[in-house]
Amino acid sequence: MSHIHFPVVAVMSMFVGGFLIAIFGAKRRKLSQGIALVTMLFADVLVYSLFSPVILHGEVISYWMGGWKPVEGYAIGIGYEVDQLSLFFAMLICFVLTMSMIYSIRYLEKDSALDHYYTLNLMLGGALLGIVMTGDIFNMFIMIEIMTFTAAALTAFRNHKAISVEAGFKYLVLGSVGSGFILSGVAVLYGVAHTLNMAQLSTVLSQNYNPSTIFAFALMFSGYALKSFLMPFHTPVPDAYSAAPASIGMLHSGSLNKCGIYALIRLTYILFRVMGLPAVQTMMVLIGAVTMFVGVTMALAQHDFKRLLAFHSISQMGYVVTAIGLGTAIGLTGGLFHAINHSMFKGLLFLCAGAVYYAAGTTDLDRLGGLSRKMPWTTCCFIVGAFSISGIPPFNGFASKWMIYQATYQKAVTTGNIGYALVTVIAVVVSVMTLASFIKVTQAVFFGQERPQLSAVREVPALMRVPMVIMSLICVLFGTCYNLVNDFLLYPAVYATLNTHGYVDAMMGKNYAAASGMPFVKYEPVQFSFWNPVTWLVLFVIVLLAVFVVMMTGESDRGRVLANKGEEADGKFATFFSGEKSLPSHVGGSDLFWGFKKDFKKYFKVVQGIHSGIVNDYVLYAVCGLAFITVFMFVFVLGR
Amino acid sequence: MIQDTLMVLFHILVFPGLLFVCVCGLLLAGIDRKVLAHMQKRVGPPIVQPLYDFLKLMGKETIVPQAANRTVFLAAPVIGFAGLVVMMLFIPVFGYGTFNGSADLIVLLYLLTIPAVALIIGGSASGNPYAGIGISREMVTMMAYEFPLIMVFLAVARKVGSVGALSFSMLNIEKWQQVNGSLITHWAMIPAAIAMLLIIPAEVGTQPFDVAEAETEICEGPLVEYSGAPLAMFKLNTAVRMFIMTALFTMLFLGGITTGMVWLDAIILVAICALVTVCTMTLLHGICARLKIEHLFKFYWTVVAALSLLSLALVWCGL
Repeated sequence: MSHIHFPVVAVMSMFVGGFLIAIFGAKRRKLSQGIALVTMLFADVLVYSLFSPVILHGEVISYWMGGWKPVEGYAIGIGYEVDQLSLFFAMLICFVLTMSMIYSIRYLEKDSALDHYYTLNLMLGGALLGIVMTGDIFNMFIMIEIMTFTAAALTAFRNHKAISVEAGFKYLVLGSVGSGFILSGVAVLYGVAHTLNMAQLSTVLSQNYNPSTIFAFALMFSGYALKSFLMPFHTPVPDAYSAAPASIGMLHSGSLNKCGIYALIRLTYILFRVMGLPAVQTMMVLIGAVTMFVGVTMALAQHDFKRLLAFHSISQMGYVVTAIGLGTAIGLTGGLFHAINHSMFKGLLFLCAGAVYYAAGTTDLDRLGGLSRKMPWTTCCFIVGAFSISGIPPFNGFASKWMIYQATYQKAVTTGNIGYALVTVIAVVVSVMTLASFIKVTQAVFFGQERPQLSAVREVPALMRVPMVIMSLICVLFGTCYNLVNDFLLYPAVYATLNTHGYVDAMMGKNYAAASGMPFVKYEPVQFSFWNPVTWLVLFVIVLLAVFVVMMTGESDRGRVLANKGEEADGKFATFFSGEKSLPSHVGGSDLFWGFKKDFKKYFKVVQGIHSGIVNDYVLYAVCGLAFITVFMFVFVLGR
Repeated sequence: MIQDTLMVLFHILVFPGLLFVCVCGLLLAGIDRKVLAHMQKRVGPPIVQPLYDFLKLMGKETIVPQAANRTVFLAAPVIGFAGLVVMMLFIPVFGYGTFNGSADLIVLLYLLTIPAVALIIGGSASGNPYAGIGISREMVTMMAYEFPLIMVFLAVARKVGSVGALSFSMLNIEKWQQVNGSLITHWAMIPAAIAMLLIIPAEVGTQPFDVAEAETEICEGPLVEYSGAPLAMFKLNTAVRMFIMTALFTMLFLGGITTGMVWLDAIILVAICALVTVCTMTLLHGICARLKIEHLFKFYWTVVAALSLLSLALVWCGL
């Protein structure tokens, strides 16, 4: 079997695996798990074996279902097309899915109806792979539908809890609204261009802006923005991510909203090729900046571990959209890098939250504390994840954020627009606030005072630790060797995005793009800031060793543990404690940073009022968002 | 080959690395205490007193509280200190430096957070409620000063870059100042320089911005459970941060003065750093009482941010 068939077989095998579990897996947990894992590994092998032909040799795979090739330059059949950008996201999705699958083996051991879980999980995986590998805009819509419905069902998986059902409902309603936007957009496009193939659409729509196409663009842009949960479409996220099991939360934030990002990139860079227009750039950067700021400030106000992570997902998506909205090569590189990094560290953090839930039975920050001595592995992984998302060097979050700062500031200087410089400032401030809210989690969950009711907590089983450790190692590796990541993942993807000719020609036949008058964009990556993590690490280790040697020559009887509880006091220290009990902390996790919250009281009142929890409001925001984008596009693109 | 390696090790461990930074930091801390004492009509300790304190603490017993996470509690001060020293290797001392091709101004902004985060994580790992309050305040202080600080850096980068370009390279900033005169002599940069002078005390954590370690109310916050060698390391951290922040200010705004002789340049650098220390930290310490955390935050996000934004806007208009 030649590798031409791999993409479609990968998607199909996931669905077939899901159906097999639905038929044979009822009440047979081991069988369900077995089928799921085997199917997943099979899809992994298929997708990762495309690395060599597609990324290393630059081949673009095109596959026509049933051999319905285009006739006289007109595409009728459904085509699958995998270029470097598609494969970039497909590999990311496969990795996250596999980690989630390994993690759920032990994590869900107390839950029932596992066959449903794995059926839905595999169908979700198939849909995600389908979204990034299809070359047909309507096929993409169908896959997005499958994704939305399976994700809603998985969100409500623990349906004995009221919050799960509520979250599933919100997700379903908002998801359907988004799908409606996308379908309307596709319908308008079909009416205008009489084709659904993305490669052909790209040649038809390129520079062809009239009210119909712009309206279709606004509809599809809003729909995909809803799928990646940007402001003001982000509303179902906090409930959905926090009510879903951690393994699903990880999929939500690690692969589902990445599909939204993928679709946005396809839409703006390839389908409509509008990224050269300053108006579109302004709109995307504006949406991104607002998203990241509101997301992070809302995260600071949360007191549930998973809810906090959910708001950070929104905020980090803001970074990604800001970066890809700049329309420059370095912006796109930074955006894609941040997308993949976000999948790693946010997946890791969700797994840590799941581990805490597994061990302690709650994720409420006000009821946790002092877990670090009981769960050293989880603590260590969590700290890596927290430092990565906060952009502490040399972890991966820093490398990508650093590219985004460069990209925004470079944009500011080249366009002479101080607004982009303020976006850089906002990005930095958001990054510090991210650090703040993770310090809050560290203090409230892992360090701080130990709660007596948590004395029976144990470290999670090894099978749950494996994915966490793998993902933390990747966080460190991507941060220190970002040059390799750039050469082997980002550069090919960015190249494929900016040079649409290859994509169109692979699908429609040689020189099709050139014949239809598509302009050719030259891609030159420019880095003007520099950062060498390896040097930093070497210097750091040398200094650390030197200091360590000096410390060791000092006092030798150090580090003894003092019993500072009155009942265990020995003679030497009894004078200081005289039998007193140690002080309880009155500062709960959610009370930290009150000085900051006090200054922002009015702001928080408004923003928290907006997140009312009522679905009607949320749908209204989504429709308002669509209206804003439509009006913006009509005024600034057509009205020029 | 061996000679090269030894030379690199000399750079890392002696000059401008570990030893130089420690000595200068402790010296600045001593000068700070002496001048402050004179302001308050006291005689004050000898200038080498911080060194005595450090040596004394190194010899004391280290006590780890039972509620603490032992590894993190003991490792945090050392990691923070190593982060600080490595940072100094990236700052060119009047154009002199071996490693400043490895990191630039944006990276430096983030390397600056490492020691602060080490303090926070260490305090958090001690499990003490006072430390909990302390780290919360330290974090809010950090949020407060990062906002103006990034704008100061952006203004400098814009000013130094040619038309339509920018430069975050610290070596370029230094060279630009050698040609065009120190940045502080360009009047558009004066608000940014004042903002930076106000940021230094908060970054170092001296009064009136020492809310995180407020001795009289929360018993030194994150440091409350520390004793012996780890405490000595944290005290050294504060002293070294004083030196690094003032050296950064010198590099950014008072650069371009070079005699060509490295040792003389180093002495000039230390002298200027001492002057900056007295002007910002000692003076403010002498005349102001400690702020409340919400006032501190408001001060940085309004007054200081406005100053740096003014500079950024002026530079943007080509002034």
